Amino acid sequence: MIELTNVQKRFGQRLAVDDLTLRVPAGEIYGMLGHNGAGKSTAIGMMLGQVWPTHGEVKVCGYDVTARRRQALQQVGAIFETPAFYDYLSGRRNLEILSTYTAPTASRRILEVLDWVGLSGRADSKVRTYSHGMRSRLALAQALLPEPVLLILDEPSDGLDPEGIHEMRQTILRLHRELQLTILLSSHFLHEVEQLCTRITVLNQGRMVFEGTLAATKQRQKWVRLRVGDFPGAVQLLRQAQLISGERDGAFIALGDGIGTDRIVRHLVGQGMPLYEIAAQDETLEQFYLRLMDTNRAT
Amino acid sequence: MFYHHLRNELWKLFGKKRTYIGFGAFLLAQNAMLLAFRLTQWQNRVERMLEGNGYAAQDYLSALTVAVVMLVPQILLLMPLYTSLVGGDLVAKEAEDGTMRMILARPISRFRLLFVKWLAGVTFCAVLVLALGAMALVFARFWFPWRGMFVFSVWPERIFNVLSAGRGLKLYLYSQIFMTLNASVVFGLAFMFGCFNMKPAAATILALSFLFINLVMEHIPFFEQYQE
Repeated sequence: MIELTNVQKRFGQRLAVDDLTLRVPAGEIYGMLGHNGAGKSTAIGMMLGQVWPTHGEVKVCGYDVTARRRQALQQVGAIFETPAFYDYLSGRRNLEILSTYTAPTASRRILEVLDWVGLSGRADSKVRTYSHGMRSRLALAQALLPEPVLLILDEPSDGLDPEGIHEMRQTILRLHRELQLTILLSSHFLHEVEQLCTRITVLNQGRMVFEGTLAATKQRQKWVRLRVGDFPGAVQLLRQAQLISGERDGAFIALGDGIGTDRIVRHLVGQGMPLYEIAAQDETLEQFYLRLMDTNRAT
Repeated sequence: MFYHHLRNELWKLFGKKRTYIGFGAFLLAQNAMLLAFRLTQWQNRVERMLEGNGYAAQDYLSALTVAVVMLVPQILLLMPLYTSLVGGDLVAKEAEDGTMRMILARPISRFRLLFVKWLAGVTFCAVLVLALGAMALVFARFWFPWRGMFVFSVWPERIFNVLSAGRGLKLYLYSQIFMTLNASVVFGLAFMFGCFNMKPAAATILALSFLFINLVMEHIPFFEQYQE
């Protein structure tokens, strides 16, 4: 659905995106992570034809965005952080205006979408009277008007209260489930990405440092929580037996290749080490992300 | 599609309260001018000027003459200010507010978008000029009779003319076309600056500064030889 091939974007001397190659397959909820200034918004800008790449090719829905922007964006919806509207006009009028930049849209379709996002009761109120949550729903409505197959969400939960964030998350899942949309989600909320996405990419200083399924982030390093009488002593014993590859926080060990928890238990008990608890601990996306960033900072 | 895009821009432009506040300001200024003309020595000076040149003042102190008197200062002062405000806002304000990003996420070309915005601005200038012209004539007619027209200019040289009511009205209507052109140029200047990466106010100030420098340079004798 989205293909970026060796894309580079330079703003003067600053390299915003460097040699980015990315594939977003149809039907996925694809997460894009990275620190502020990592190049996420620039990459999204290039996907939407708002920013022209210095080098490389950007294809959306099979069309080159630079050469055939109209065809590429015909069935693409987008939402940006802090959605902006013409506050002095009604929600319905805003949708009428924004929809015509893609194609003239029937009033019936506008009503249908307003109903879908739960704003039909306030369609004729001025946008300045809308709450932040309602604005987010209006943003979603404008993105849905061109009957998109691809939805690009750039920090959609930014500025929302916990209830709003939950509502947005449910809406994204509903969009994916009911309308079978492919969704590209750029977010700072790692917990949100973890709950929604099937695949992620991580950018760091304009370069991709990870790309893969969410499951792959958990498989990269399996941590086991270990509660023993003497943790440093246990670690020493396990290291001598080459059963672990690492330890952290005075409570977790990383198992060596092909080593199961049963062997850890047998070895510690055999060495007379009191063992109270052992439990596999999946790495959260946040831990994975922070570790990835640390590794990249170190290199 | 082009019609829809133009309609969008007009909705946006005429949906703002500020648009009408501007019209209101002009209305107030016009009436202030009218009252000043009637209640100060201004009317007497015009009468003396007419009679000094051998014309009967009562034949030319008319709605048409006063409408022109009301319009001239507005064209020189308020019109550039207001059209450059609108011109500076059209692109720069949308970029500042973030709505431009929403639009540019859609498959519309930048050229089309800017062209319809410019065209909406020119339409606005025409509406503004026509409304001002009509308002000036209507208000002047409340106080003065429908007779011949007297017009005079002090720059680049002191000239005047007297016309019959019919011919005066015809020229008054023609002048609206030139004033629309004039307003569109000022608007276009601010619009152009607003397309660069700057705040709306900066675009307006740049356009007005350009006009001011141009006015100053026009009056420097050194440049007279280049006016030909």
